[in-house]
Amino acid sequence: MIQWWCSAAGTPWTWAWRPYPGVWIFVAALAVAWVIAVRRAAGGSARDSGKPAWYFAGVALLWFALDWPLGALAGYLASAHMAQFLLIAFTAPPLMIIGLPRLDATTQPSRFERVATHPLITLVAFNVAVIATHLPVVTDTLMPTQTGSLLINLLWLGAGLLFWWPVLMPHAHHWFSPPVRMAYLFANMVFMTAPGAMITFSDLPIYATYELAPPIPGFSPIDDQRFAGLNMRVGTAVVSWLAISVMFLRWNRDEVRLMEEEAGAARHSPPDVRSAADGSRER
Amino acid sequence: MDTTFRPHRNGAALIAAAAIMVGSVLAGCSRDTPPPGEFRGTPLERPLAKVDFALEDTDGRRFQFARGTRGMLTFLFFGYTNCPDVCPVHMSALGEVIDRLPFEARNRIAVVFVSTDPDRDSATRIREWLDSFGPSFIGLRGDIAEVNRIQEAYGLAPAGKGIDDGRGGYVVGHAAQILAFTPDGMARFAYPFGTRRDDWLHDIPKLLNP
Repeated sequence: MIQWWCSAAGTPWTWAWRPYPGVWIFVAALAVAWVIAVRRAAGGSARDSGKPAWYFAGVALLWFALDWPLGALAGYLASAHMAQFLLIAFTAPPLMIIGLPRLDATTQPSRFERVATHPLITLVAFNVAVIATHLPVVTDTLMPTQTGSLLINLLWLGAGLLFWWPVLMPHAHHWFSPPVRMAYLFANMVFMTAPGAMITFSDLPIYATYELAPPIPGFSPIDDQRFAGLNMRVGTAVVSWLAISVMFLRWNRDEVRLMEEEAGAARHSPPDVRSAADGSRER
Repeated sequence: MDTTFRPHRNGAALIAAAAIMVGSVLAGCSRDTPPPGEFRGTPLERPLAKVDFALEDTDGRRFQFARGTRGMLTFLFFGYTNCPDVCPVHMSALGEVIDRLPFEARNRIAVVFVSTDPDRDSATRIREWLDSFGPSFIGLRGDIAEVNRIQEAYGLAPAGKGIDDGRGGYVVGHAAQILAFTPDGMARFAYPFGTRRDDWLHDIPKLLNP
């Protein structure tokens, strides 16, 4: 029987290519979703038509994570499963969100959007999803079936989109300034230390799926699991620090520009206004 | 101010459905772990005594099973080195767990692997394969009819050869359980495929001192 989605099938591993039609349909659906989003945006109050290169880079990463060989290896190796997680939940979502078209500044966010994308909610939801999907009982129950594996992958993608949304689309929360966004990403790194440490420092393999999977030469279950835990900690740290760095540089650039504009405005204004502007800065 | 395209509004329903599914899995599934003190192996219907068979070991000498393992906790497994799943998983688990035990305990344990594929499993091949799990593991080979007679004496299904593995070779059907003989020479438990390192670490000290 043909497999439509990668899962821990329990059959011996081979490097022979295998098709996963469910993955192709999913990737195609994401491409169609972007076209629909652009059309809707064009018909509404869109400010631009998005950045397709970013969106499709995210979709390409998803495809790489879900299809053969990485998707298939995720049924045999905890480290491949973790690499999949990093790509699906932590790397592809920000690229996809950056690529979405943006609306006009006057468009008001809906109440649902304000609540669902509240940073506290997205931070908690993401970490609950990460912890839940890495619990041995959940992984060992869901990974052996294609539907279960699909559910894990969808949860990761959904949680990742939710997590990155307020960072990259903060229009619904004006208080969520760049420094707070950086703190948000840092807090997430701290929270993710717990599952990463649990996986890295566990004395025994915690997932039956990977402990009992047909072995791939060169990978012992415990080494594979330690590598998976390190993947989680290092991978999230690299992506988070990269995002924090970009955010800091942009924030710094904007602040400098603002100060220069204020200084320019003060130079060109009459003396009484200039002294008032200088006074306001001193305050 | 940064503004954006708004996605479909049924996201809340999707999130709720996902939460319910994860919640159900968490609530409904837990590993069946026997109470502390009990063995995690599968009890045999009746205890089995060691069958006194003799096969060739990887040094080319005759190995008398009952005599060679007397007084030791002995794990007996029938498998083959080209086995893609059950055999390497069992052997690597046993090897890693035995490595964690104190020296005195390790010295009282014997792992005996009997090949069910003597056509491909030469003595050298068996030795190389076993060395990747535990250099002290004992590898035995003999005529397949003789090996099957031994398996039948233990109530195990005889090995069956012939299923194409799709890679130019063949797979050998064989019993997937490991028989555990306590130092008194009797087997009371078998450990099927699915036995985890945690289970071995739980049971081996009890098997050493029943």
